[in-house]
Amino acid sequence: MGEPTAGQAPVHDVIMVGAGPASLAAAIYTTREDIETLVIEKGAVGGMAAITDWVDNYPGFPKGIAGLEYAENLRAQAERFGAKIDYGEVTDIRDEGKYKRVKTAEGELLAKVVLIATGTDYKKLGIPGEQEYYAHGVHYCATCDGAFYRDKRLVVVGGGNSAVQESIFLTRFASHIDLLVRSDKMRASEVLQRELRDKHADKVTIHFNTTTDEIVGQDGKVVRVTGTDTTNGQKVDFPTDGVFVFVGLKPNTEFLKTTSVELDEVGLVKTNERLETSMPGVFAAGDVRSGATMQIASATGEGATAALRIREYLDEHARQHEN
Amino acid sequence: MVKNITIFTTNTCAYCAMVKRWLDAKGHNYEVVNLDTNPERQAEALALSGALTVPVTVVTKHDDSKEVVIGFNLAKLAPALV
Repeated sequence: MGEPTAGQAPVHDVIMVGAGPASLAAAIYTTREDIETLVIEKGAVGGMAAITDWVDNYPGFPKGIAGLEYAENLRAQAERFGAKIDYGEVTDIRDEGKYKRVKTAEGELLAKVVLIATGTDYKKLGIPGEQEYYAHGVHYCATCDGAFYRDKRLVVVGGGNSAVQESIFLTRFASHIDLLVRSDKMRASEVLQRELRDKHADKVTIHFNTTTDEIVGQDGKVVRVTGTDTTNGQKVDFPTDGVFVFVGLKPNTEFLKTTSVELDEVGLVKTNERLETSMPGVFAAGDVRSGATMQIASATGEGATAALRIREYLDEHARQHEN
Repeated sequence: MVKNITIFTTNTCAYCAMVKRWLDAKGHNYEVVNLDTNPERQAEALALSGALTVPVTVVTKHDDSKEVVIGFNLAKLAPALV
């Protein structure tokens, strides 16, 4: 802890909100320079990377690496230099000049600097049956829940990298997968599409121009998905035992909506080129930042950049407040 | 008082790793049932949790009552261990 207390709240040099690749990379840099750093995470350390089956494009790993293993490596490296990772949910950030007041469900903390790196989460479809059958046939994490579908039929919804990557993962378990893609082509990288086509065509049927309209259950279990073939308006039916949804990402910025941290039109955090947000002393990095490329390599790079800017800010903070 | 703790996990589940790490930090011992290597125990996990997901943490008390916590949910897990 940087200082014991200011009033009643513990004071930290840096609080990082979220423990994904951006903040863990930043924490490696800050703690290695003896800048006291607390990282607060409400979900999985490693963020979306941790729940991704396989990371194939992170530089320095010629054979790729399991997402969970990569996340564990990041955590271990940050902790080796002294980063402290706590579990909790940040609900508010207030600018009080010398310190930022960070509210969590457990209490309040103060920090000289805050890094917002809360990343994104999978979007919901918002269709009938989705909420009702959540974790009972409707899922958003293949690496968590895929094992329950050995020799079962599945529907996967989405056409991006996550949908294709997780479909490939789910072929380990499922007897057959219907992949429903709303448009006439997939947004996934050509490498992933080729792997799906060349290695998994026997198990995965891709349905282009197909909306997902309803998840239908019977006796507490998902039994089918109904959709529409948009080329002719005909209803289509997919018998299934479960549905995995990967239809894009939404920023984890709900807690910022009543703060002075400015968000863009889709809820991502706006920053300048120094990764500073509109609240002085509050930085943002990684997928949650407006303009981010949603790549792990970019997130770690932004984390390193943020850490260097944070060090400069702390030097200035010391000149202003400690003389 | 806690008699024993069982966690149903898979090899690839990040939230399972989080539960185990948190229990380690709190000094709790636990048994791991890996559903990738013991798929025959999936039905047991499903019967206990009512959900097709892991982690499922089962806390058995000294009176043999059980508390079942789904996911990495400290708001439920921490009180279950008191």
